[in-house]
Amino acid sequence: MTDLSIHTGLTRRRFLQATGAAGALGAAGLSFDAANGLTLQKVHAQPAAGPAGQTVITKSFCAQCPARCGIDVYTTNGRVHAIYGTLDNPLAGGKLCPKGHYGVYLLYDADRIKGPMKRTNPKKGRDEDPKFVPISWDEALQTVADRLNALREKGESHRYATITGRGWGYTDVGLLKQFGQLYGTPNFNLGHSSICSDASETVKHIMDGHHAYSAYDYSNCNYLLVFGAGFLESFRPFTGNMRNWGIMRSKAPKTKVTVVDVHLNTTGSAADRLLLTKPGTDGALALAMAHVILSEGLWDRQFVGDFVPVEQPKDADAPRLPEHKFEPGKEVDPATFKEIWTVGVAEWWNVELKDRTPEWAEKITTVPARDIAAVAREFALTKPAVALFERGASAHTNGVYNGMAIHALNALTGNMFAKGGLRGYQMKTAWAKLPIKAEDFMDDYAKAPERKKPRVDGAKSKRYPLAKNMIQEIAINSLKGEPYKLDTVMFYMTGPIFSAPDCSKWEEALRQIFVIDTSPYPGETNRFADLILPDNTYLERLQIADTYPYEGYPISMIRTPAVKPIFDTKTFGDAVIEIGKRIKGPTSEYYKKIGNTENIVKWMCEGFKDKPGDNGVTDFETFAQKGVWYRKPYAYLQERGVFYEWDGKGYNKVMTPEEVKAKVMPTPTGKFEIKVTELEHHAEFVHERLGIAPERAPFPQWVAPRHGGDGDLHFISPKLAGQAEGRSANLPHVAAMIQPTQGGKRNVFLEMHPEAAGKRGIKDGDRVRIKNKVGKIEAIVRVTHTTRPDTVALPMIHGHWAQGRWAQGAGRLPTGSTNEVTENLSEPLSGLACFHSGLVSVEKV
Amino acid sequence: MAKWGMVIDLEKCVGCQACTIACGMENTRLPGEHWQDVIFFQEGTYPNTELKWFPRPCMHCENPSCVAVCPTRATYKTEEGQVLVDWERCIGCKYCMIACPYGVRFYTEEAPRYGGPDLKAVFPAADAHSWSPPWKAPQEDWKHGVGVQPHDVVSKCTFCYHRVSKAPKGTADLDPSNPVMREYTPACVVACSPGARFFGDLSNPNSEVNKQIANKNGVRLLDHLGNRPQVYYLTGVGGAIPNTHTTKA
Repeated sequence: MTDLSIHTGLTRRRFLQATGAAGALGAAGLSFDAANGLTLQKVHAQPAAGPAGQTVITKSFCAQCPARCGIDVYTTNGRVHAIYGTLDNPLAGGKLCPKGHYGVYLLYDADRIKGPMKRTNPKKGRDEDPKFVPISWDEALQTVADRLNALREKGESHRYATITGRGWGYTDVGLLKQFGQLYGTPNFNLGHSSICSDASETVKHIMDGHHAYSAYDYSNCNYLLVFGAGFLESFRPFTGNMRNWGIMRSKAPKTKVTVVDVHLNTTGSAADRLLLTKPGTDGALALAMAHVILSEGLWDRQFVGDFVPVEQPKDADAPRLPEHKFEPGKEVDPATFKEIWTVGVAEWWNVELKDRTPEWAEKITTVPARDIAAVAREFALTKPAVALFERGASAHTNGVYNGMAIHALNALTGNMFAKGGLRGYQMKTAWAKLPIKAEDFMDDYAKAPERKKPRVDGAKSKRYPLAKNMIQEIAINSLKGEPYKLDTVMFYMTGPIFSAPDCSKWEEALRQIFVIDTSPYPGETNRFADLILPDNTYLERLQIADTYPYEGYPISMIRTPAVKPIFDTKTFGDAVIEIGKRIKGPTSEYYKKIGNTENIVKWMCEGFKDKPGDNGVTDFETFAQKGVWYRKPYAYLQERGVFYEWDGKGYNKVMTPEEVKAKVMPTPTGKFEIKVTELEHHAEFVHERLGIAPERAPFPQWVAPRHGGDGDLHFISPKLAGQAEGRSANLPHVAAMIQPTQGGKRNVFLEMHPEAAGKRGIKDGDRVRIKNKVGKIEAIVRVTHTTRPDTVALPMIHGHWAQGRWAQGAGRLPTGSTNEVTENLSEPLSGLACFHSGLVSVEKV
Repeated sequence: MAKWGMVIDLEKCVGCQACTIACGMENTRLPGEHWQDVIFFQEGTYPNTELKWFPRPCMHCENPSCVAVCPTRATYKTEEGQVLVDWERCIGCKYCMIACPYGVRFYTEEAPRYGGPDLKAVFPAADAHSWSPPWKAPQEDWKHGVGVQPHDVVSKCTFCYHRVSKAPKGTADLDPSNPVMREYTPACVVACSPGARFFGDLSNPNSEVNKQIANKNGVRLLDHLGNRPQVYYLTGVGGAIPNTHTTKA
C-alpha cells in the first residue's frame, strides 16, 4: 500500500474544535504524538465473520415488467443479495434495467404479508382496518371452495371472477381458462390489458394480422421514429431497448432518432430531434408525414407498388403526357395504382391524405410544418427504419386511428418484416402439450347452455366488439348489475382500485363483493379484501414463461426458486389447483391429476427433447441450469418486396402470396391493409362511436380526440424508468431515485410549465390541487420547461394509501392515484383506457 | 501493478440509473447513499428544451483531496489506484466530505431523507454494524471500506474493490461480457445496459479504457483542480459534462 502520509497541518486543538470529536477521540483511544502526527488505534473493530458461505447462482427471470429478462440470482447463506442479467439470455444479454435489481428488496420487503389471513372487520373503507387474523392454508382454500361450490349450487357460478394483471403464462393465468371451463364462469380471466396497451395490439391486428406486440430489429435500424413511447424509460423490453441504444448510437451509420411526445423525458432529450406535440394529435403528424412521402414520391415501390406508366403517344414528336402522381389536393384514379403488398394506398390518398399537408398538421399539433416534412423525408430516405408508438399516441379516444396512421408509415417505406425494420412477431416455443384435457372432466353443469353468459367486463359485447378485455368497466357493471353483480372476485397481480381510471368507483364495488387478494404485499385491494391468499414472490417460485417480443425468434425462460418461501405463502398457480381439488364433482379429479405447477413445468419441458435450444437446453434439468431456451433465427424476411422463409441455412425459400398470408401477414387479404377489412365490417359501429362516415371507416385518418375530465390543462401520467409495475412504490431505495429528471429523490413532482404556473400564481415547490369532475388529488409542483404550457405531467403509481410504510408518503408524495382525476373513457375499438388526454384544473392549495 | 480506471461514454448513457441501483445492491447501501449517482439538470426553454444527465462515481483521483485532509489516515490510496476508507480508523469527522470536489462521500448517521421509517431502525444490527438488512452482501472488509459500515464513519465508492482485487494479475480489461472477467467487474459496469462504461488498467497502453480515452477524447471532471481523476468521460455528440470552470462576475 502506498504510504501517502500527508502532513495535515492541524493542531490537536484546532482539530478537536473543528470536529467536536473530543469525546469520540478519548473513547477511541486516539492520541496525538508531536513527532508523528495523529496515531490511532482501532476506532471500530470489524466483528468476527461467521462461517464463509458458498454463493449459489440460481436462474430466474425478472418480474418488474412484461419483458422477462433472464436473471442470475446470487444467494449466500440462504440470503439473496444480488441479481444480475443472465449473459446467455438473448433478451437480457447480461444486463438489467434499474428495476431488475429490485428483487432483493421485494423479497425482503419489511411490509410483506406472512401468511393467509381473513378479515374480521365487516366494514370496508379506505380508513377501515380490515383487522386481519392469520388462518391456515387449508382454511383459506376451503373458504374459497365453499363459496364457489355454493355459487354453483345456486346456478350462479358466473358471479365468480378472477381479475388478473401480469400473468407469466402456463402455470398461473394460463391455468384459469380450464378452471373457468370446468367450474362454469365466463369471468375466469378478466385481464388488465385495456388499462395497459391494447390499442397497439389492435392496430397491428387489423393492419398486418397479428394481435400482438411487434419485434423490432433495432441493432440494424438506421432511423427510429418514436411516437409517445418512453423508449428509454418505459417501452418494453427496456433493457433490450437500452442495449440496442448503445449499438444504435455508436454504430456506423449511427441510427438517427426522432421522438414525438408531449413532455420532455430522457428519451426525447437523448434523441436527435424532439417534436413536442399536443396530447392526442400524434396521428395528425403521421398523416402529414404519409402525405409528404406520397406526394414527394418517397414510398417504397418494391413493397407498396406504383402507378402504371401512362401510355404515351406513338408519335415521337407529340407532346409527352404527364405520368401519374400524388399531387396535394388532387385525387388519383385508384385503378392506375398497382399495389404489391399493401391494400388501399391510392384510396387512402383520395379520402384522407391528399389534404393532410404538414401545414394542416401544424395547426392541429403546434409542431412546425417544416419539421414534419423534414422528418418524413428522413424517415422515408433512411433505410432501414422503424416507426413505433405506444400509449402516448394511443391512450386517447382516437388512439387506434392515430396508431394506424403511424403503423402505415412502416408499410409505405417497405420496413415491414425487413432487416433493420419492424422485424415481425413472436414465434412460439416448442412446449409439450399436457396429456390431460379439461374437456374430459366437464360435468353436466359445466356443459349446460346456461353457462354461456356474457363476461361482466363487456369485452366482445356490442359496446366493445373488438376489445380483448375491459377491466375498467367491471366495477360499474357489477354495481349496476349489468349484466349481473359479481359475488366473489380473486385478484392476481392487479389493483384496479388504484390503477384503473376513475378508480374510486372500485371502492364502492368492492364493498359489495367478497374479495380475495393474492398479493404478498399490502395494497389498496388488500385493504378491501375479505381473504388473503398470499402468493410467493418471484424469487421463491418455480415458473416458466415466454419472452416479450424481442427479435421474433422464440425465447422462453424458467424461474427456479432462489430460496424457499420465507413466509407461509403459496404460488398462485398452486393455490388455484388446490381450490380446484376442492370443487365438487369431476373438477376435483382433474386437478388431482394435474397435481401441482411443478408437474406442468416438467411436462412442458419434454418438448425441448425434439427441439433443443441453441444453448443446448434439452429438458427440465438443462433448462433450470441455463435459465433460458431459444432457437434462432426468425423464420421470415422481407427484402425488396420479396418474402423469404428460412430453410435451415439462410433466407432462401421465396414465399408465395398464399404462404405469406398463412404465415406472415394473416389479414383477410394477406396484405398490409391500409384499407382495413375489419373496420369495413365494423363501419357502422365506427360511425356510431366516432362519428366517422361508414365509407371512410377503414382508412387511417384524423379523428379529433375527446378529452375526459374538465379544466384548462391536459393531464398526463407517464411511467418513470425506475417504476416497477406498481410494486416498487414501497421500496425506499427506489423512492431515493424515482424522478431524477425533476430532482425527485424523495418526492414525486407535478411538472408544470412556468407560463402555466405563473398564470395561476403557483411557484416551484408549492402544493397544488389537481381536480376535475372525477375527483381531486394534491401534489407538489416543479415549475419546469420539460412540459408544454398546456400540459401537466404527474408520474403514475404514486400516492398510495395502503401499500406500506414507505409508499404512503403524506406530504412528500401525491395524495392519491392519478386515476382519481382520470375519467373512465375508453377508445372504442381496442377498449384502451384514455389515460393521456384528460383535462384538469390546477390551483394552489 | 494495475492502475484501475473507468471510462463513461456520455453519448451512450441514457440516464436509467441501473448503475446507481446495482451499486446500492452490490454494496448494501442505504437508500440515497448513492456511491454511484446520476445527476440531472434541465436547460433551455420550451420548445427547445433539454435534459442532461451526468453519471458520477468516485473519481479515484491520482491526487485525492480526501486523502490529503484525513486526520487519521483512514482514507488512503491503494497501489492499484483505488481511494478507500479504512473504517477501523475513520472517526467520521467528515473533513474528506468537505474536501472532495466531486461530492461522492457519504455519512449516514443523519435522519434519512428518503421518507418513511429509517431502514437502519427496521433492520438493526446486533453487533458493531450500523444496520443489518436481510439482503446484506456477504463480502466484508472494513480495512478497505467494504461491507456494511460501522456507525459514525464515512463511506464511498470502492471501485468494487472486493471484486476488482480478485482479478487475475495482468488483466487489461474487466469486460462484463467476458464470462471469465464478469465476476471481477464493478457492479455499475456489469449493469450498464447501453454499455456506456468501460473498466480496465490505465497503466496498460493496450487496454480498452486507454483506447477509448485516446480515440474519443476522454476528459476528466474539474480537471483544472489538479485531482487527476481515474474516471474519464467521453462527451461525444450529445454528451455533456458540467462546466469545468467557475465563472466569476
